[in-house]
Amino acid sequence: MASSATEHSDSRQSPPGAGAWLLLTPLIAWLGLFVVAPTAILLVYSFFRGVGLSEVRPGFTFENYRHAFAIAYLRVFVRSLTYAAVTTVLCVLIGYPVAYFVGRIRGGWRNRLLLLVMIPFLTSFLIRAYAWFVILRDHGVLNSLLEALRVVPTIFPHRIELLYTPAAVVIGLVYTYLPFMILPIYGSVEKLDESLLEAASDLGAGPVPAFWRVILPLTWPGVAAGIVLVFVPSIAMFAVTSLMGGARIRLIGDTIEDQFFSSGNVPFGAALGILLLVLFMLSFVLLRRPEPRTAPS
Amino acid sequence: MKALSLIAVLGIIVCFAQSCGRQGGGEALNLFAWSEYIPQEVIDGFTRETGVRVDYETYDSNEAMLTKLSQGSTRYDLIQPSEYAVENLIRRGMLDPLEFSEIPNLANLDPAYRNLPYDPGQKYSVPYMAGTVGIVVNSEVVKEPVHGYQDVFRDKYRGRIVVVNDNREIVSWAFGVLGIPINQVTPENLAKAKPLLAKWLPLVKVFDSDNPRIPLLSGDCDLGIVYSGDAARLCQENHKFRYVLPAEGAHEFVDNLCIPKGARNREAAQKFINYVLRPEVSKLISDKFPYTNPNAAARKLLSAEQLANPASYPAAAHLDVFHDIGAATQDIGALMSELRGGG
Repeated sequence: MASSATEHSDSRQSPPGAGAWLLLTPLIAWLGLFVVAPTAILLVYSFFRGVGLSEVRPGFTFENYRHAFAIAYLRVFVRSLTYAAVTTVLCVLIGYPVAYFVGRIRGGWRNRLLLLVMIPFLTSFLIRAYAWFVILRDHGVLNSLLEALRVVPTIFPHRIELLYTPAAVVIGLVYTYLPFMILPIYGSVEKLDESLLEAASDLGAGPVPAFWRVILPLTWPGVAAGIVLVFVPSIAMFAVTSLMGGARIRLIGDTIEDQFFSSGNVPFGAALGILLLVLFMLSFVLLRRPEPRTAPS
Repeated sequence: MKALSLIAVLGIIVCFAQSCGRQGGGEALNLFAWSEYIPQEVIDGFTRETGVRVDYETYDSNEAMLTKLSQGSTRYDLIQPSEYAVENLIRRGMLDPLEFSEIPNLANLDPAYRNLPYDPGQKYSVPYMAGTVGIVVNSEVVKEPVHGYQDVFRDKYRGRIVVVNDNREIVSWAFGVLGIPINQVTPENLAKAKPLLAKWLPLVKVFDSDNPRIPLLSGDCDLGIVYSGDAARLCQENHKFRYVLPAEGAHEFVDNLCIPKGARNREAAQKFINYVLRPEVSKLISDKFPYTNPNAAARKLLSAEQLANPASYPAAAHLDVFHDIGAATQDIGALMSELRGGG
């Protein structure tokens, strides 16, 4: 046991060989061309000056960053972080039960249910957003249903206005990112060792302590991955939020898009983009806390 | 299950192959124009006649088009700028002069739309459609008279208003109410308009330039300030919608067809312009998107009902137009970001 452990740690410490680097080359090239280079270009543009309509004067100025720290934009950043946090919490609350249920099913149904989770990905997000319009609008499916069930005149005096509100934006965000939460948690649930759960009940743990002390810690890697996969991208979401909110609720993604396509102020949009990138990296670093110890004492 | 996933994968590959195949080879016209402005039949008719495929890419604001054009990533053959964007592009030398010998149908244009001030000598542009931005009201829900911007932005209509998602437009309405000329976009004038805008913006439910008819048709909004073509379509679909030119002042826009510098397929672009100027083709455009048609020959083919639509052909005298305001656009952007960011 001890010798294989040292062997294992030895192979982890030796540098990758030439073969490994060869395999990594396409990935590195892709990252360089499509991630590093555009970011560098964005950084350079963020120091230029924006003049006129989409005209840019090369130079070096901190004006764009100074402008970005105005209270209006800080408010937008904070708002985006808040929406991302709410979305993440809702995704965990909704996604965990779904992932747990699917992960514990035996047989062919598991794959079919997973396919059902994935199918919305295959349709354009615009069509999905408009589908929500049909459900949420004033005379849409939801309100018609509530009226038919007489919920509307009795419990709620008027129709529920959901479309073009912050609630609709959250619905859009949760709907878009839910699969990103379900799949990692499913991955963890699938690896659950049945014998550990049996041991827990043998030792007298009821369902709630069993969940809290055994299942949750064991599936935590999936939840942590899901949180990162949902929180970080949802800060920057723009098209869905713009549609569902009637372009009224300004999030950072919409604001950056505005700078490029409405104000024609490319350097300022670039500066906001760089700040958003910094925010991404910070969130990513802060969310990646070390995993809780799972080894039995 | 394995057979099912195999079929699914094959299906996806076939879909990709089809879409890739369409991009390769053949002559193509790279058309970059407003969304909801060029009917598919017009495009198909052009392709049928000339064999040239048309790649129709859309935008929903002049600023978006200018930004994309400035980046130089895609070579467009034909663009559709509004009058102030034409001014901007001419100033920056980004347009190719048109070969009018190849556009004989230009004669079909109403003389009022020849040689307009934003293109002195009419070297670079051919008017496509004109219009106004005005108020549309669902008269079944809104019973009080609505004559101008101040009537729209009232507290009783909070959350029932849709407006175009165009910061410059919205600022020009505030300018109209305050009696400031719409092209005098200075920091002082913007400061004067700020309190009015701060009062107005929270009342709006939807900002949409692409398809502002949606919330009006679905009943989520009862009134709005939209492009005249959208209003005309609403009026045609249901007579409960009425169009009103704001009393405080309205402005006209003229959208044009232009060829940007660096266009690859100039010949096809010129052919398309000439094709669109044909009366029967122009009539098709008016049928689908009832803006103000500058083509006199086409107007003769329109029905009396179409010509009587007050949104399409308003009985207004000389209206203002936007001019290129250059860097002041960013001042507008900053002000509106600040005001809209609060909500």
